[in-house]
Amino acid sequence: MGRFRQRLVISFFIIASIILLISSRSQTILIEQIRAQVFGFFIPVITFVDIPREATASLSDWVRNIAVVYADNEFLREENADLKRILIESTELEIDNHRLKSLLKIRDGNLTTITASRIVSDSNSPFFKSMLINSGTRSGVKKGHAVVNEEGVIGRIINVSVNSSRVLLLNDINSRIPVKFVKSGVNVILAGNNSQLLGINFMPENMEVVVGDVILTSGMGGIFPPDLPVGVVSDVLEFGEIKIETSVDLYRLNYVSVINYEIANFSEIKSDQTEKNNLSQIEGSQQ
Amino acid sequence: MNASLQEDNLFSIKFIIPFLTILFLIIMMVLPYQFKIIDNSMPFLSLIGVYYWSVFKKDLLPISAIFVLGIIQDIILGSPLGLTSLLLIIAQQFIFFQGRNFLERGFLFNFFIFILMIISFGFLSWGISSLYVSAFLGYWEVILQILLTIAFYPIIILILNLATKR
Repeated sequence: MGRFRQRLVISFFIIASIILLISSRSQTILIEQIRAQVFGFFIPVITFVDIPREATASLSDWVRNIAVVYADNEFLREENADLKRILIESTELEIDNHRLKSLLKIRDGNLTTITASRIVSDSNSPFFKSMLINSGTRSGVKKGHAVVNEEGVIGRIINVSVNSSRVLLLNDINSRIPVKFVKSGVNVILAGNNSQLLGINFMPENMEVVVGDVILTSGMGGIFPPDLPVGVVSDVLEFGEIKIETSVDLYRLNYVSVINYEIANFSEIKSDQTEKNNLSQIEGSQQ
Repeated sequence: MNASLQEDNLFSIKFIIPFLTILFLIIMMVLPYQFKIIDNSMPFLSLIGVYYWSVFKKDLLPISAIFVLGIIQDIILGSPLGLTSLLLIIAQQFIFFQGRNFLERGFLFNFFIFILMIISFGFLSWGISSLYVSAFLGYWEVILQILLTIAFYPIIILILNLATKR
């Protein structure tokens, strides 16, 4: 009897695991909320356990920085001189760009930085690429917000708790990001494949791509603003298959920014236009 | 009366220790180490914990505890819910299937069984994950993960031995 009961218990837990596995594929709101509550609960524990590792990493960074401070200083002086020159050029271009956009009545989307966050945990798995950050609904983070740093795109928020959020990295097998080739302007979909070198979906036939071609976000889809760096073509294989190296080193992340991008509201543009038409009609009638 | 109460308390503390040590190993698995090799192929530390407790104190690690630990690991790691529970339960049943004579056979025999188990565990996790995402996932990282777990086994066992002797 005892043995039968034992087998029954084992079968129950195995079946329960399989049911959970199948139901988690559908990503129901209830499962997402449970996940968010649990990882939100563990964030302080993980942060506490991480203290020795973080202290060691900070110390080694400090020692490394001290060792290269003179070389860095020299490099930064030269870079600063270059950047000043580029700043003058880009300011002129920005003014031109703004003037041309207003002539063509092109509205940019609205970009807001929600918060800067620290990475608390990493999935460290060969199959699923995500990480937890220490900002949640309390900081204004919502599902679907984009996650970036100064080097480019990192991923997007897929689950949020009060004090933390899960970021799906752009190299995860489930990640799809609308991007464009800078040189040709062709829009494609960047697909994650769990490695550092990503692939492209829906690549147009006979499109010429060379190693070093830069890839930016296209702004389609409404999650990522246009023109954020995503990566460069690192290899062009046979049958037109290409490999993209991400501009962000996903293995050495400490801090990230959560941003919200809203596509320009066309009703606003339309109402602006009708307002201007009305004004010109009034002006015409006055003349 | 007091003596039996004290015994009960000791028993419940003993139950908590295996759970907490495996939970600690799970947390160690998700820290942002910033090493490419670890980031892709973190050793299955929780499996080492389950193996240790299932071999040395099988009564202190019930199947319900393994189920809960597996769910926690899936939630913190971001893997499909139920995947780790299923794998850890299968692993524990594999250990019990070997019989009750584990402790009499010594470290090398245990290590050999663990190697057999981790190979099956690694490829089973690869197979289920491939089915889950409906894609043929890369297996080199899994092989590396298996090798790293084998390398970490003596270290974790040593630490657990030292911790439980106190």
